[in-house]
Amino acid sequence: MKNNFQKVFLTIGEICYFIRDVSRCLFTKPFYFHRFIEQCLVIGAGSLSLSIAIGLVTGLVMTLQFGYGLAKFGGILYVPAIVSLSIVRELAPIFTSLLVAGRVGSSISAEMSAMNVTQQIDALRALGTSPIRILVIPRLIACVLTLPLLATLAAFMGFIGGQLIALTEFDLPAGFYLNKVLQTIKINDITGSLIKCSIFGAIIVILACYRGFKTKDGTKGVGNASTWVVVTSSISILVSDFFLTKLLILIFH
Amino acid sequence: MKILEVKNLRKSFDHKSVHRDISFHLSRGETIGLLGKSGTGKSVLLRSLIGLETIDAGEIIYQGQRIDDLTEEDLYPIRTKISYSFQNGALFDSDSIFDNLAFPLREHSNLSEHEIEVLVKKTLSSFNLDGIEELKPMDLSGGMQKRVGLARSIILKPDVILYDEPTAGLDPLNVEMVIQLMKELKRQNFSGIFVTHDIPAAKKICDRMIIIKDGEIGFNDTVEAFEKSNDPFVKNFLMS
Repeated sequence: MKNNFQKVFLTIGEICYFIRDVSRCLFTKPFYFHRFIEQCLVIGAGSLSLSIAIGLVTGLVMTLQFGYGLAKFGGILYVPAIVSLSIVRELAPIFTSLLVAGRVGSSISAEMSAMNVTQQIDALRALGTSPIRILVIPRLIACVLTLPLLATLAAFMGFIGGQLIALTEFDLPAGFYLNKVLQTIKINDITGSLIKCSIFGAIIVILACYRGFKTKDGTKGVGNASTWVVVTSSISILVSDFFLTKLLILIFH
Repeated sequence: MKILEVKNLRKSFDHKSVHRDISFHLSRGETIGLLGKSGTGKSVLLRSLIGLETIDAGEIIYQGQRIDDLTEEDLYPIRTKISYSFQNGALFDSDSIFDNLAFPLREHSNLSEHEIEVLVKKTLSSFNLDGIEELKPMDLSGGMQKRVGLARSIILKPDVILYDEPTAGLDPLNVEMVIQLMKELKRQNFSGIFVTHDIPAAKKICDRMIIIKDGEIGFNDTVEAFEKSNDPFVKNFLMS
């Protein structure tokens, strides 16, 4: 019997092997373009409303909090800079990725798990087709490309939300707010944010597909896999965010 | 002429030995019945033959080429020649029946969409499954799903078909229909290995019977020898 410690190391090892197999398929033919487009629609277009909502609400709340907090010290003029920088560098990538991990990660995991327990993945292999090429690669590339776009949308909505609160609650003119945002946000901030989102997207799909391919125990296993993917990918996103932030600071600053 | 050969195959799961020493061969145009009690590893053996399970030791040779040591990618072309008919059909449940059958053709042939459409309809018709192209697998009965699965496994005209309990859980009419289909495939010179508990069906279709006993081949001879055998183990099997 393996103890929990051994199980964790075994899982990490298996994920490394899975990443190796995915990497091998990533740069070689065939590439299922129509499945990639399909996944862009499912992952990207399907998460638009979430992205808009999370971005807008974050902008509203952050501006309110910082506005009243800084007003006590006469620092209201710094609100646009602080809020926009927080949103671009951290809040938009993290919140969007966590939401996509919940929505898309669990969905991919459930789909893969169900295919696994009903032998559809074995059927793909038996028909001479790589399940990684046809199932994982289109989802991976779609998520790596669409997650930064979703985070960009969330950040944009955050600015709108922030501007709205700044105008209505603190009488900061919209032109002033926009000017401060444009002065504060540098191209490096945006690049770093996009890189982070792409890596988070890869983490979500790799973990969801890995777990889906490993699922046993029928319908109970399908449910457990979805839960595992949401929890593990959320923790992985938060932990990797620290290291990525440190790395990006070293690179860009 | 040997088309598929298994030499001294060994397989275990978590230190529990399933196959200790399995050796047999399949000749071109021949159908073998693979029998054994539940849990003796008949399906595992079938899956091992096309690399869906890795083996611990031994050799699997297809047309003179050793295939057990090939990588997953190298096995894909082999799997278009040795096809596997799953027990439950294993149809892609989000695709239509047409797309299920068209899938291997789109993947491994250069046929146009029109040619694929013609071939899929012809194949479905030969399995008495006309008019179900647009349906989804969940719209079909278990027996129909098995027949569609069988149709999908032969659509690339493989050399060998591995049947995993194609008659299990079917009513007598559907069993008879599957038997007739398998006989027709045999007439078309497809080789096959038929894993089953259905001895009457195996006797109707197979040229040879193999019984797995304690991880080894307990019996390997013609159907006639199987029926006339005085071996208590085989007699017990026949009685069951």
